[in-house]
Amino acid sequence: METFFARYRNLVVLLAMLVAQIIGLAMQVHRTEGGRMSVDRRDGSGVRLIRLWANGLVSPPERLIHSTSLGVASLWQNYLDLRHVRQQNQDLEKTVDRLRLEQAALLEDARQGQRLQGLVNFQQKYIYKTMPAQVIGSSGSMQSRVFYLDKGSDEGLRRDMAVITPDGIVGKVREVFAHSAQVLLINDQTSGAGVILETTRTRGILRGNAAGQPQVVGIMADNRIKPGERVLTAGGDEVFPRGLPVGVVEKVVQDPERDSFIQAIVKPAAHLDRLDEVLVIISTEPRFPPDQQQDMATSETLKGAEAEAENAQKKASEIMAERLPGLIDPNLPANQQPLNDSTPPIPVAHTPQPLHPDRFTPGATQDHPTEPQTGQAGDAGQGVPAAAKPGTEAPQRRQP
Amino acid sequence: MSALTANTRRAVEVRRYPVLVYALVPLVALVLQAWLPRVLGNYAWFDLPLVVTVYFALGRRNPIEGTLMGGALGIFEDALTQHAIGINGIAKTVVGFLAASVGVRIDVENHTIRLMLTFLLSLLSSAVYVFIFRILLGLALEWSWIGELSKALGNAVIALLVFPLLDRFKTTD
Repeated sequence: METFFARYRNLVVLLAMLVAQIIGLAMQVHRTEGGRMSVDRRDGSGVRLIRLWANGLVSPPERLIHSTSLGVASLWQNYLDLRHVRQQNQDLEKTVDRLRLEQAALLEDARQGQRLQGLVNFQQKYIYKTMPAQVIGSSGSMQSRVFYLDKGSDEGLRRDMAVITPDGIVGKVREVFAHSAQVLLINDQTSGAGVILETTRTRGILRGNAAGQPQVVGIMADNRIKPGERVLTAGGDEVFPRGLPVGVVEKVVQDPERDSFIQAIVKPAAHLDRLDEVLVIISTEPRFPPDQQQDMATSETLKGAEAEAENAQKKASEIMAERLPGLIDPNLPANQQPLNDSTPPIPVAHTPQPLHPDRFTPGATQDHPTEPQTGQAGDAGQGVPAAAKPGTEAPQRRQP
Repeated sequence: MSALTANTRRAVEVRRYPVLVYALVPLVALVLQAWLPRVLGNYAWFDLPLVVTVYFALGRRNPIEGTLMGGALGIFEDALTQHAIGINGIAKTVVGFLAASVGVRIDVENHTIRLMLTFLLSLLSSAVYVFIFRILLGLALEWSWIGELSKALGNAVIALLVFPLLDRFKTTD
């Protein structure tokens, strides 16, 4: 046995390494409900430990390279500026040189600050609380479109927080370490975000393709979807707030796997390949800017004044009602007040007047059985039967 | 099977390096592999940990060392991605073993052989990677031949430049 292991130790080590890694892979992959294989969304403790080690090993040098490159770039630019100034000094006056140098420095500062200013402006105006972070590294693999931020759990970052720029969404925080975090870009094949097409209101899922382009998948074929249509976040994925710009539809292609479906290739609004600073949405509690807060306070004040005026008007009407004579009799108890009397009114007695009285008409005499009274209608009193007249005796009636 | 084992010439031609080189070169490769794509964007057609694995495996001519170094570098590469850990690990384990086994039998000082070896081993690594991803794990992965060929070519060119540089660090017995 010893001879066997001594002779084939290379192959034994190779097989041991392969088997160990295959077992490790099998523990990280599971079958989904749809029958597809998928990598566990949350890493196990062992896997997380390895990722932690790798991150701890690579992040500090990356951070160093990042800061050093910035310093070197600054030094190089300063050197170029100085050379430029020296050349100009040969031809121009000292004052003009100084002014030009200042102008160049200001321009340089403005160029550097412009991007940050835009970021800060957006951060101040944006309704949700965000945290700026710098991109310090990437995964280094074309199949894995992730990058690393210089902020981590100690700064308040958590998993599944949305990462955006003022231009549009970038991705989501996938893994958080103490002082760094891994962000999964929206153009990665494993990413997913709920989106909606602005004009057609078609909903779909955004994920990346092999070429690193984000595409909206899972949408039925629709002739109305054209290149140039804006794509926004739908807000249903519990990561990205609703209404954030994602990009514009670049082209629409047939889904190769399903006939009746199409895929919309999206040109992302954010420059995903040139990210330096990003914002991480750390809280989705609405946060209003000062001017909006002032508007709301003013609105509340006006609302209060309106209610106060209404109350005053009501009180005045009550006072007036008390003072005016009305249906309230102060000498009667409350239950006998005429205002509270609910009995129906007594109808007024009224005898209808016949238009053509005859002998059958109540109160008519036999002497004038058919004499029309209309001919004597000049006096209304003559037409009225005697019985109907107050103070007269009831005449004889002829029974029919 | 005997072609994959090595024991004949390594005793006389094995290279040795300071311990610092063993520690720093793989680390630098990992850091640069993580950082350079930020600068180069989609043109980062190379795999520096693979180049380092091939270099040390060819130089040391020890399949066990090549296997372990390839596996470790691959696992660290995987750990920097969101994918399952072990995919790159297996690919580079195989590459490390094969490079060391081949290194015993051929003259690895020749630049053309180095270039061709790195190119072929890069293609092999990509093939193993795709095989594990799509066949073994059954995961969805889109890839292109052109991209993998470009990466293999990039690795070969980098190997041509970096191998002579790393040769300066070798120590003589």
